[in-house]
Amino acid sequence: MHILELRHVEKIYGEKENQVKALGDINLKVNPGEFIAIVGTSGSGKSTLLNLMGGLDSPTKGAIYVKGKEIGSLKRKALTIFRRRNIGFVFQNYSLMPVLNVYDNVALPVTFDSGNHLNHGYIEELLKELGIWNKRKKYPQELSGGQQQRVAIARALVNKPAILLADEPTGNLDSATTVEVMGLLKTSCRKYNQTILMVTHNEGIAQICDRIIHIEDGRIVNENNFINTKPSDAGEGGDFTC
Amino acid sequence: MLKLAFQNMRYYKSQTMAIFFSIFLTAALLSGIGSLLYSSQLNETENSKRIYGNWHYALPSNPQLLKSIKKGDREQGFFLEQYGVKEIRETITTPYEISFVWSDTSYLKMTDRELVKGNYPATPGELAADIFTLSNLGYKGKPGEIITLNKTEYTLSGILNSPWAADTDHMEVFVSEDFKSTDVLSTLYVKFREEGKLYRQLYAFLDYYKISGNDVENNDKVTKYLGGEEPEHLYQILKFALTDEKGNFTYIVLKLQAEYNLAFYGMVLLLCAFSLCVIYSIFQISVSKRILQYGIMETLGISDRALGGTLLAELWMLFLIGYPLGCLAGNSILKLSYRRLAGIFTPLYFSANAQEISAADSLSLGDTKTPQFHTACWVMLIGFLFLFFAMFLIGILTLLSLKKQTLRQAMAEDPCFLKGSRKIYSRRNRNLTGVVIRKFMFSNPKKITGILLSLSMGGCIFLCTTYMVENLKIHAEMSLKSDEGLSSPYRISLMSHTLGDTIPKETVEEIKELPQLAEIHATKYIPGEITIGKTELEWDEYFDERNKDSYFRERFGGICVSRGNNYGIKYNVYGYDSNLITQLKDYILEGEISEKDWEKGNKIIAVANQDGQGNFNFYGKHPGDTLLLKVPKAFKDDGEILRFENPKKDYLEMEFELAAIVSRPLTQENRFFNVNGWKNHPSLILSNPQMERLYHIADYSFLDIEPVKGADDAFFDALLQAIQNVPRAVLKDDTKAIQAQRNYLGQQQLFFTGIAVIFLAISLFHIMNSANHSILSHRREYGIILSMGITKGQFYRMILSAGILYGILTDVFIFLLYHIFLRQAMNYYMAHVLQFLHFTAAVPREIFIMVLVLNLLISLIAVLIPAGKILKAEVLENL
Repeated sequence: MHILELRHVEKIYGEKENQVKALGDINLKVNPGEFIAIVGTSGSGKSTLLNLMGGLDSPTKGAIYVKGKEIGSLKRKALTIFRRRNIGFVFQNYSLMPVLNVYDNVALPVTFDSGNHLNHGYIEELLKELGIWNKRKKYPQELSGGQQQRVAIARALVNKPAILLADEPTGNLDSATTVEVMGLLKTSCRKYNQTILMVTHNEGIAQICDRIIHIEDGRIVNENNFINTKPSDAGEGGDFTC
Repeated sequence: MLKLAFQNMRYYKSQTMAIFFSIFLTAALLSGIGSLLYSSQLNETENSKRIYGNWHYALPSNPQLLKSIKKGDREQGFFLEQYGVKEIRETITTPYEISFVWSDTSYLKMTDRELVKGNYPATPGELAADIFTLSNLGYKGKPGEIITLNKTEYTLSGILNSPWAADTDHMEVFVSEDFKSTDVLSTLYVKFREEGKLYRQLYAFLDYYKISGNDVENNDKVTKYLGGEEPEHLYQILKFALTDEKGNFTYIVLKLQAEYNLAFYGMVLLLCAFSLCVIYSIFQISVSKRILQYGIMETLGISDRALGGTLLAELWMLFLIGYPLGCLAGNSILKLSYRRLAGIFTPLYFSANAQEISAADSLSLGDTKTPQFHTACWVMLIGFLFLFFAMFLIGILTLLSLKKQTLRQAMAEDPCFLKGSRKIYSRRNRNLTGVVIRKFMFSNPKKITGILLSLSMGGCIFLCTTYMVENLKIHAEMSLKSDEGLSSPYRISLMSHTLGDTIPKETVEEIKELPQLAEIHATKYIPGEITIGKTELEWDEYFDERNKDSYFRERFGGICVSRGNNYGIKYNVYGYDSNLITQLKDYILEGEISEKDWEKGNKIIAVANQDGQGNFNFYGKHPGDTLLLKVPKAFKDDGEILRFENPKKDYLEMEFELAAIVSRPLTQENRFFNVNGWKNHPSLILSNPQMERLYHIADYSFLDIEPVKGADDAFFDALLQAIQNVPRAVLKDDTKAIQAQRNYLGQQQLFFTGIAVIFLAISLFHIMNSANHSILSHRREYGIILSMGITKGQFYRMILSAGILYGILTDVFIFLLYHIFLRQAMNYYMAHVLQFLHFTAAVPREIFIMVLVLNLLISLIAVLIPAGKILKAEVLENL
């Protein structure tokens, strides 16, 4: 079963003469454990696509299935809980809570689920894996961009979501840090068998992924699957250029 | 700059509206309350004119002076609007002290003693009088009735209005101009045009007619707000306060109140400050919402001047529109509702049926007059200038606070770099949203303190006003009973200066049997003298003044006289009934009052002396100390006995133990020491049984009588009947006066409470705006939380916890501010300036709880509105 499936998804913003078609007739199937890059120029609709897949926005037409469930059919509360348990987000601007330290930022989404046990061992493992355990008491403002993005990734992974959506996760980072962050994403993908969909406009970064989806003017124009052509996955800090 | 400011206003519509409404509301409040206060002063003056006469000054008159005034110029640095003459042609002493008065119509008009029925006397054989005088003389008060006075018969030609709170010490009948007399005491009453300060016109008048100013009497209740007396120079007041040993802060406050109407100007100043706080706070909130934009403008190279100019232009544009509209709205609404509140300012303007004059209706029979609403234009102007320039300061301060931030901070909309405890909260606490909320609030202690202070302002003002109103209620009731002599609807007293005249016990028993009687307090009285060591006496200046009065000097040999190493001080000694003594418990300053003491003990209650600054003292004595009291043994007043200088055998001298010291007596004798404008002469209180046991006083001096509700004129007639055979006893009907005063006071309380409610409402608006801003300023963070999958219910719970925290903290602030600072400040203000602090007065618990709950509710509503906005938007919009 596909972990994510989009059927004839269309997204239109605005009304009447101000209508803008952001996405048109998108069909996509994603297998569990895939690391996919969505590549396109600015305004091509890649972020819109990511937001629709994450349930942050709703499509004008079409249906999106996550783990076989059509998220459009879910009521707001059910969608929220479904999203919280199944989808993790990493944003370009990190979107960390400035008033919480690293540890609490990571723990925050778990506390929303009253029945969910706060697994401190797992948080510690995540932070160590991402190399920020020694920064756990620091506030976001006291960290570099790369460190902040690692915190954001840790936070996205803390609920062990089925899908991790990353919107330009390296957009604000320098090239060295970009390499580090991409390596971490890749490692997480493999280690926790998570499906990652990452939006980027950087073709070089996309090369590290299993599949690259090119999107232009709201339509998928090309798909490259490297899963068979690239048998050896890049390790941590993989060998690619930005 | 103007264009940019205009574009800002257009773009940030909701913030522009918030600033506009804050200006509009505060202008309405400032100008409205200013006008109300101004109107209340003018209408209080109108009331005083009815009570004390519509004249400003009275001075000895003579035919030459009158002639020259008639001929003279009426505008020579003064404008003589009206003058009237009153001549006392004759005075008789039996059956009461009655003056035969001739006056011109102008005087009658000025003193509101115009004719109600009949005509003014035209021949020496006619007279006109008021119902109070006639009824006590035993006449029905019908024109044509024959009145016999001093064995001479007169025809009653007309009925006049009774004077306010009829003077039981003196009665007047009016006679014709031809009424012959050998000794005429003529007084001229003058009224100037009420523009500018009256004392300046008086000086010009005295100067023009070459009159000495020594004997000029100032109608001070009327001229109080009209500049009747030349104020002491501010410099002199400050100099005295700072250099003299008796000078202190209270002195300055009292002087400013007395000479410069501090209460009014202080209120205007407070209103200006309150308006400024609200506008500043709302403007700050609006500016903080667009720090990013200012950051960009600075990056683009806008100069400080241009940035400041833009801020100012925006503020001033809104001010120039909002202020006049607010003034217009505030004044219009109050003007429309003013008639409903009419009684506040015009306690005596009630109508009465002049055709059916009964004893109860004999007071102030005037046409119904509508009180005027006066717009205080100058308050508006002061407010305008104050706020206009204050806004300049706001602009500068805002600019400075913007400059404190680096450009990066400004553009990142990140005004404060957060640093806090390194504690990991999630280790012990699952409620991280609560941590987030608390951190949002307390990240900047200075800011949260400022917000909470401004949020608690309205509640504090409301509580302070309520506290004052509670004190005012008790004070008003007490003043009515004690100071104004309006303790009960009917009072039977003696119009006599001799101790021998009393109201017999039997008469009191007879009255007690009257079917329509609800309550009666019969009080015994005897003048006494206490002995106080010379070192114990304070405020000798007060007694010096009393001793200067020729009446006290001649009749009693002075109020406070030297007796070797001691002083002998004249005291009123009352015998109250048990009911009144129990009521005194509310006014205890020290000690206790026990019913048992009054049966057999020799304990006494002393009324403390109160100085001009509201401090109470009883010669340094305390409960348990002893007091030596001397009273006349016999009640025959030989004219000397009350000087307390006769041989010892003429007096009973006893030592009493001081049981309690109280702040005031309840009902007072209006003869002997409480005359000639002196009220509240020092008093001692015993019980009626004590008076009988110790001094053998069986009869009474005055009775306060309360009829049952709905009692008719028959009760009044029965009272008159009961005292018919009691020499010199008079019955006074204060029903209307009490009702009018109660209405006035009740509505005055309503007025103050109304003002407090307006303050509270503005404050609540402010709370809404602040809480709204506080939530929306973290919209992005809330967006992040939403994106992480918090449910709507969880989000509302989180936001509500912020509201509860705001509400509770504001409540704690209000509670602490009120109890630690404000109540003390109010106590000081009421004790020393208003001088009506009552120890039993407190804000009712229900009102206190209501304010606290209201704050909490408003805080909850205030946070729910922006929470709804955030939830309504898509998650991405918030991010």
